[in-house]
Amino acid sequence: MIKEINSEEFDAMDNSGAMLVEFYSKSCGPCKMLAFVLKAIATLFPEFPIYTIDYDENQELKERLEVKGFPTMLFMKEGKEVNRLEGLQQKPAIVCAIEEIYSN
Amino acid sequence: MKCYDVIIVGAGPAGMTAAIYAVRANMSVLMLDRLSPGGQIVNTNEIENYPGSGAVSGAELAISMFEHTQELGVEFDYKTVTSIVDNGEHKTVTCLEESSTFNAHAVILATGTMPSKLEVSGEDRFSGSGISWCAICDGAQYRGKDVVVIGGGNSAVEESLYLAGIVNSLAVVTLFDLTADPKACDKLRAMPNVTVYPYQDVLEFTGDSKLEGVKFKSTKDDTEHFVECDGVFEYIGLKPSSESFSNIGIIDEFGCIVVDDEMKTSLPGIFGAGDINVKKLRQVVTACSDGAIAANSAAKYVESLKG
Repeated sequence: MIKEINSEEFDAMDNSGAMLVEFYSKSCGPCKMLAFVLKAIATLFPEFPIYTIDYDENQELKERLEVKGFPTMLFMKEGKEVNRLEGLQQKPAIVCAIEEIYSN
Repeated sequence: MKCYDVIIVGAGPAGMTAAIYAVRANMSVLMLDRLSPGGQIVNTNEIENYPGSGAVSGAELAISMFEHTQELGVEFDYKTVTSIVDNGEHKTVTCLEESSTFNAHAVILATGTMPSKLEVSGEDRFSGSGISWCAICDGAQYRGKDVVVIGGGNSAVEESLYLAGIVNSLAVVTLFDLTADPKACDKLRAMPNVTVYPYQDVLEFTGDSKLEGVKFKSTKDDTEHFVECDGVFEYIGLKPSSESFSNIGIIDEFGCIVVDDEMKTSLPGIFGAGDINVKKLRQVVTACSDGAIAANSAAKYVESLKG
């Protein structure tokens, strides 16, 4: 499941369980290509929530989460960041990061 | 195990064009890429010389090419190819992921290139936290700050034009002079916050826990310079991605595939296309051209096997 959210929705949502939060920019080519990879990830893990956040429109949140560039993927469990991948990543690296969340 | 007619390794413009032409020639096609479709153009802010597209972002062009392959039913998978074995009338392509293997009558290698590194002191330490290879991805964090671009070719100048619009100061340090499209070079030189340092050899990146600056030396009179900066972007050229087939005798001493004008390598049934080939002009349009020719040659080869 992939869903676009903003700062307010991020702060208000139930953050129990595991999730992936991806910061992207509309002007960023690698972010657009990562969207393809995330679609394939969502097919593999249909129950795993993937949230996308516009880096440029959510400045306060990206600073609070210390996100410095895009695309940046934060892997979160029970509201806490447990892993981070920066830049366009290979699908197996993302799969591995998701499996690690579930195994710990 | 299924034997595809053609496996295409790499889904940049050359690979995607090859896929379109091969499918339209009634070949069964599998296209593999370790990252995502697009290749190097994904990192290009704007492409202005692809006929018919006007000014278009690299990613948008890549997406429309990929959608074209999908409309035609090209099978695509995210795989990192680790070896290619020539068994005569079929080739075996092995991938890193779960040691998966695929067979095909013909293979088109369109693996392209990846950014070269300077390999000087401090580069590894600040890689990803101060030194970057993608201005579009990481440029925003240097808004109003001081930045150095290393390189003077097309990528360096294009990305410098983008960065100069958002940073406080931009120093361009290059081993020769600016060698990009003259119009773009003139535009960059005219920007008030840009200083170009031609004929300089980078010595090291300095800083303790954080990047503080770049030390470089004139190749003409050995004078050393130091420029303070918050970030560095390197665009010093590209190296061929040929590790997975470096042992089958089809590459030159630089790692590029040697092909004839039909994109055939010295091994029957193995073809090369795009930036990975030995060639003089590496552009989207020449990659697409190679892809079309390689697919046509591969289809003829497969048809000859099938009689």
